[in-house]
Amino acid sequence: MDLEMVKYLSKLGKLNFTDSELEKVAKDMTSIIEIMDTIKEIDIVYEPIKDNHNVYLAGLREDVSMDSFPTDKILQNAVNSESCFVVPKVVE
Amino acid sequence: MDVTALKIRDMRTMLDKKEVSVSELADAYLSRINEVDGKVESYITVTSEEAKAASAKAQAVIDKGEASPLTGIPLAIKDNICTDGVKTTCASKMLEDFVPPYDATVMEKLNAQNIVMLGKTSMDEFAMGGSTQTSAFKKTKNPYDIGKVPGGSSGGSAAAVGASLCAAALGSDTGGSIRQPASFCGVTGLKPTYGRVSRYGLVAFASSLDQIGPIAKDAHDCAIILNAISGYDYHDGTSKKIDVPDFTAKIGQSISGMKIAMPKEFYAEGIDGEIRDAVNEAAKWYEKQGAEIVECSMPSLKYAVAAYYLIASAEASSNLSRYDGIKYGHRSDKGDSYNDLICNSRSEGFGDEVKRRILLGNYALSSGYYDAYYGKAMALKQKIREEYNSIFESCDVILTPTAPTVAYGVNENISDPAKMYQADICTVTVNIASLPAISTPCGYDKNGMPIGMSIIGKLWDEATVIQAADAYEKQFSYVPAKI
Amino acid sequence: MSAYIPVIGLEIHAELLTKSKVFCTCSAEFGGDKNTRCCPVCSGMPGTLPIINQTAVEYAVKAGFALGCGINKFSVFDRKNYFYPDLPKAYQISQLNLPLCINGLVPIEYEENGEKKTKNIRINRIHLEEDAGKLIHDDLNGVSLADYNRCGIPLIEIVTEPDIGSADEAKAFVEKISLLLQYAGVCDCKMEQGSLRCDVNISIMKPTDTEFGTRAEIKNLNSIKAIGRAIDFEIYRQSKLLDMGKRVVQETRRFDDNRGETKSMRSKEDAHDYRYFPEPDILQVNFTDEDLDAIRAKLPEMPYQRLERYLADGLNENDAKIIVNQKILSDFYDAAVKAYNNPKSVCNFLIGEMMRRINLGEITPENLPFTAEQFAKLIEMADTDKVSKNDAKDVFRTMCEKGGDPEEIAKAAGLLITNDTGKVMEVIEQVLAANEKAVAQYTGGDQKVFGFLMGQCTKELKGVCTPKVIKEELEKKLKSL
Repeated sequence: MDLEMVKYLSKLGKLNFTDSELEKVAKDMTSIIEIMDTIKEIDIVYEPIKDNHNVYLAGLREDVSMDSFPTDKILQNAVNSESCFVVPKVVE
Repeated sequence: MDVTALKIRDMRTMLDKKEVSVSELADAYLSRINEVDGKVESYITVTSEEAKAASAKAQAVIDKGEASPLTGIPLAIKDNICTDGVKTTCASKMLEDFVPPYDATVMEKLNAQNIVMLGKTSMDEFAMGGSTQTSAFKKTKNPYDIGKVPGGSSGGSAAAVGASLCAAALGSDTGGSIRQPASFCGVTGLKPTYGRVSRYGLVAFASSLDQIGPIAKDAHDCAIILNAISGYDYHDGTSKKIDVPDFTAKIGQSISGMKIAMPKEFYAEGIDGEIRDAVNEAAKWYEKQGAEIVECSMPSLKYAVAAYYLIASAEASSNLSRYDGIKYGHRSDKGDSYNDLICNSRSEGFGDEVKRRILLGNYALSSGYYDAYYGKAMALKQKIREEYNSIFESCDVILTPTAPTVAYGVNENISDPAKMYQADICTVTVNIASLPAISTPCGYDKNGMPIGMSIIGKLWDEATVIQAADAYEKQFSYVPAKI
Repeated sequence: MSAYIPVIGLEIHAELLTKSKVFCTCSAEFGGDKNTRCCPVCSGMPGTLPIINQTAVEYAVKAGFALGCGINKFSVFDRKNYFYPDLPKAYQISQLNLPLCINGLVPIEYEENGEKKTKNIRINRIHLEEDAGKLIHDDLNGVSLADYNRCGIPLIEIVTEPDIGSADEAKAFVEKISLLLQYAGVCDCKMEQGSLRCDVNISIMKPTDTEFGTRAEIKNLNSIKAIGRAIDFEIYRQSKLLDMGKRVVQETRRFDDNRGETKSMRSKEDAHDYRYFPEPDILQVNFTDEDLDAIRAKLPEMPYQRLERYLADGLNENDAKIIVNQKILSDFYDAAVKAYNNPKSVCNFLIGEMMRRINLGEITPENLPFTAEQFAKLIEMADTDKVSKNDAKDVFRTMCEKGGDPEEIAKAAGLLITNDTGKVMEVIEQVLAANEKAVAQYTGGDQKVFGFLMGQCTKELKGVCTPKVIKEELEKKLKSL
């Protein structure tokens, strides 16, 4: 796996690597991908319908609204202010 | 008498007969943890105070004569199962201070029986690994040899059971994470059928593969715990609306006539000779009891590790995206923009193995690679299921080694992730096919390290798997860990 | 510039009117104090799992039927992965390959250069997904605050084929969709509250081109007017680029309502690779034929059916359409006709008087100060001469201002016609007594003075009696003399 690919995947996964880490990661990923590539030799296609768990409309949750959680419990692990999660300013 | 060596059912009898009190039992474990866990490092959090309160509550229930099978039984819980008000770290710096605002469904069920939770056990970070050495906090050691790994990812739970630091424990199994550490630590671990036990409150690694299950001293104890935690859950749409049988019901029934398949691919190159011999010996024992050994084949096994890692990592990369440092978890003090904060928080919070899985998962799902990797892996999942179906047409259970090797040194293998992945060959297909399987000890190698064998059952047929394991255990000469 | 043909496709997001959210039991109502409608599931806590709402699925299918779609009897949910602070799980549960509804068709009517036209717009798909939370920007402290109340409100996304050719068509289409969803009872379609939102995909091409041009996507338009303006601006912008020999860049743009312009959204640092895969936490949905029949049977009267009914009731097509095209008015009309079964009369007053007051901004259909029954009563009073046609308008004005019962209002204003014959006789006798000369003329055969006497009586009996009754009684009296 080349460095560009590792960089792209890191971006997708929101991970930073230093240049030296990147080399090591690329090496590890290359040997991992080697194992993964064993499946390339077999020619089969996934069929979603074969994975049907036969859940029908009637088996789904009834639309009943119940009490929510106390706001402080929702926020108990977060940096919060004014009953909200605090995020660095997002500019569109 | 050392009460910590007792089976759950014996503790039950003593508790109900008032030969021991709940707090005596809990204290015996807590003091043993105090003495021994410095070496084993199986617990990330020991909940002594909570245990005392729970003991009093459980005792009151017992005194009223209203005890359930697990009332007053001291259990350990893997640290990826959410406990309201008690830190649940997943052995990750990312969740070092995370206190869940709710209980996992399994915790609600266990608490309804008034268990005594002793603490939360260590594991590989986010359950990714087979050694518990990727834990950010406690790199658990094998009670048979503290120079060796306990296996993983539920290494803390397995070591705690093996070292008698709890009566039994809950683990979770995504690709072998209950069975492999159970085999390394000389105890019994049961991975139930996918959908048998609610996953609500189990911090997700790979949602289509994860399943909570017990690790205990033997199959009978596993059955008692499985009885308590099984059943459809409103909060888990993948839990099955299906009757829960008494999993102890078939214990003691004759195994004569039971058909046991041994797919040859599980005994091929790469499986340690001593392990192959031990499992073959066990097969001979079963044959002597009147069971029939059936030869069979699973041609797709050679693709199983790849299929498993692609599916599991793809799901993991998505499941782990929620850790951004905003809602909970490690929040970097660097980063002025949302993007910088989230990248820094994740880079600082996750360990190397977790990062590799995220990269692999994103690779498998990214545009241009999806069909070749994730799509193909999903197709293989269907093929492996079909192969299991055809094997089960002519047998009741399948017997395999649990792992290709016994527990290895704490510094071995871990530097080579690719080699680590290959070691999961014996266990991953069970998760891919959603099947129940148990690992139970079947011998010790020349260094005295435990060897485990796995008995795989048909969907929803945990009872037969438990029956087969229990029959073997009753005649097996255990060598307890000396720690 | 007119050398280019615009090619437009829309993605409409509509929030469904379920009681609870799509994957948890928190209330799905609009609003609420910040983070008070949240639980571990919708706030994305570790270990939580989605449990899909039956009614949300049913409503999505209902919407599919309303838009002429086929239904996938085996439908799968997928995860769409991207990081944004309003999306706590960092993936949105949505549908990719097997959405609930596919291949619909929606006829629209619109005007082009004053000419009435019709067209069919194809619907590619409707899928069910979850809404995201809201970010409140705190400029003072330089942070954004995340409120997850809206996280997990069920949404349907309606995706059209690129069949739309102008701003007018687009506006007509969104209005039609809004109407159909309201009639189906699945969405209130309040664009100002965000319960209906629209993304526009637009490119332009020359008539000689065989392939579509590069498209831009304009996100989150929240009024019909904005949709039209954004499209017109985009056609102008893209045409100018092509005229100058430049290229259109494929990108996401935002419409600035104040400037009437679209602007490139700061090119996100993210790669647009959503890494969709089947949501492992949800075990798909299957429908039996009976399920689908039952949902179809629950579909209420749709606009075209109501139009047919109105025409059968004798309304003219123009009036009937005006009423049908605003569901809230149409419901009001139906309730009024139920109270007073005279469709044409109710329609005339509604189109004439009520619409006038609405257009003047004196009343809004969403918040009327009077009931349909009171409205019907007023029309019936006018029709049965309990109040004169002209006075009825005055009574209605009072109803619009203050509300209330039309009879009481008319009474208080002295506009009520009682046709009290005792009073009539009394007045006639007084008038005749005061005008002996005229009476004599009349009895002498000069019938012309009747008009004068009639006038005198009418003046005295204003609001008490209709002229018809006065005339009858006066003639009777004079004959008897």
